[in-house]
Amino acid sequence: MDVVFFVISIGIFAAVFFFLGYLGYRKTKTAEDYFVAGRTMGALLVAFSYGATFISAVALIGFSGIASVYGHSILWLAFLNIFVGIFIAFVVYGLRTRKMGLSLNAMTLPEMLGNRFNSVRIQQVSGLIIAVFMVAYTSAVFLAIASLFQVTFAIPYEVCVVIFTLIVGIYLIVGGQYAVMWTHAVQAIVMLVGMIILTVMIYAMLGGIVPAHEAAAAMTPEMLASIGSPAATQAPNGLTSMPPFLSQPFMMILTLIFGVGIGVLAQPQLITRYLTAKNEKALRLAVPYGGIFILLMTFTAFSIGPLCNVLMYRNNIMYPTKVVAGVMTANPDAVVPTIVNDLFPTWFILIFLFAILAAAMSTAAALFHTAGAAIGRDVYEKSVKNRISPEKSILITRIATFIIVIATLIISLNPFDVVAFMTAFFFGLMACTFLAPYTLMLYWKKTNRLGVWVGMLGGFLFTIAWYVLIYFKTAPKIIGSPLVGNYMINMLDPIFIGLPLSFLLTILCSILSKQDKTEETIMKKSFESISK
Amino acid sequence: MNLILGMDLGVFLAWIGTLLVTVLCIIYGLYYQFIKKTQEEQPPVSSNDEPKNSKEDQ
Repeated sequence: MDVVFFVISIGIFAAVFFFLGYLGYRKTKTAEDYFVAGRTMGALLVAFSYGATFISAVALIGFSGIASVYGHSILWLAFLNIFVGIFIAFVVYGLRTRKMGLSLNAMTLPEMLGNRFNSVRIQQVSGLIIAVFMVAYTSAVFLAIASLFQVTFAIPYEVCVVIFTLIVGIYLIVGGQYAVMWTHAVQAIVMLVGMIILTVMIYAMLGGIVPAHEAAAAMTPEMLASIGSPAATQAPNGLTSMPPFLSQPFMMILTLIFGVGIGVLAQPQLITRYLTAKNEKALRLAVPYGGIFILLMTFTAFSIGPLCNVLMYRNNIMYPTKVVAGVMTANPDAVVPTIVNDLFPTWFILIFLFAILAAAMSTAAALFHTAGAAIGRDVYEKSVKNRISPEKSILITRIATFIIVIATLIISLNPFDVVAFMTAFFFGLMACTFLAPYTLMLYWKKTNRLGVWVGMLGGFLFTIAWYVLIYFKTAPKIIGSPLVGNYMINMLDPIFIGLPLSFLLTILCSILSKQDKTEETIMKKSFESISK
Repeated sequence: MNLILGMDLGVFLAWIGTLLVTVLCIIYGLYYQFIKKTQEEQPPVSSNDEPKNSKEDQ
């Protein structure tokens, strides 16, 4: 593809975002404007922003690649993405979060926890956990997208990283949450267009839905092995069948489905979206918009992944590979880009790249904003004794966000192994750390400060320990090999144990200790606001 | 093995379940848009933005 044309297109793309950043700057007058877009967002904007934050480039390219390895059984994740990630998230969590957030005058998840349990330290510690792990996660998002552009356009990796980080950093620091939400709407539309065309064209190439699925089902392990596809061994019952119960592929899919599917409920960058809604109705109406958006993102991505094997087999394309530690291994991340590059017209390659770029930018913007707020508002501001004016609060968070952007840039330019596995455990870690305190804060009046401390830190430390010592995907990279060995327990995502443990600790400690008078008063006020 | 739309039962359930849960989301939205009237809530109960000094934090 013509690089000059691409550069001009990306210039226009960036100009639109800068303009929205400028409009956001003009509209931002108070801290509430900067952190939660003045709590004025309608249903469509909330849904698009939530969806664009939720679905990153990793989700589109990475998960369709994973689907090419494990087959259509990964569609259970699409089911959970919509049922848990949208329906349960908005109806069970979103409505209460917004009401309680208003009552507590909170604009971030740490601030909600801190204000609800009358503890500045809970706010600071949770803010710090979020900021540290988000920087690593954001740099992984950029790492993936920069690698894609490096392969497609031969643009040096460093140039890609610097350009992407600067574009996102500038419009977000200047325009705050307004700019983030508005750019999310544009990015969501680009993502929708890209994924719809990609899916329709792939199914059309294979003759329609049923013929495509039948062709995938007819792929034998020998046929898959002939193109070098790992599905030959990882989808033993075929690409359109569930793997054998409790087999290694089954456990992989199970852990992925629940790790990501349930983990979505406690993502601070997503929880912030509820707080931006202008009223209860906007949140309720965001449910259908969000459901359709996620359907058109994950259902499509997971459906086409296995079909790429059929396209590669019919067109004599070998499954993409990469060299890891001197060994040639299959590279699922490159499956969809390879199919698009080899089989699609040039005009679509451009649309596809912009869709992936939009997915990466939207997720990164929300992560930067949340991490900046965590450092600026939750950690720094709360360590200052004097009251801070709204203008100064915004300035502090802008500076904090700038530092986060620079830190992400430095890590992205010098990627080390830790970044790669932090992506894998970001969702699980956030869920095991925050889901229990957050859920119980919303639904159980007896939850108290001690319970939240123990549940939060217990879940956090357990998850870190599990990833470092036992989990088969991360432990080998950190300590050389898993502590236990090659057993089923090594394949178990910590969310299966860490999450119940965190709930148990929060409940037990809340039963064993009592709320103080101030906590009790705040609790009553919070629950009164919910019942109104 | 019997396939439904080219998929085995486990995968087909995920496939149809994803579509049905999207329909559920749409029906939920339609219900709140056209049938159920929700009350617009009152302004925030509290707008206290003072830094807190809990016993624990002192």
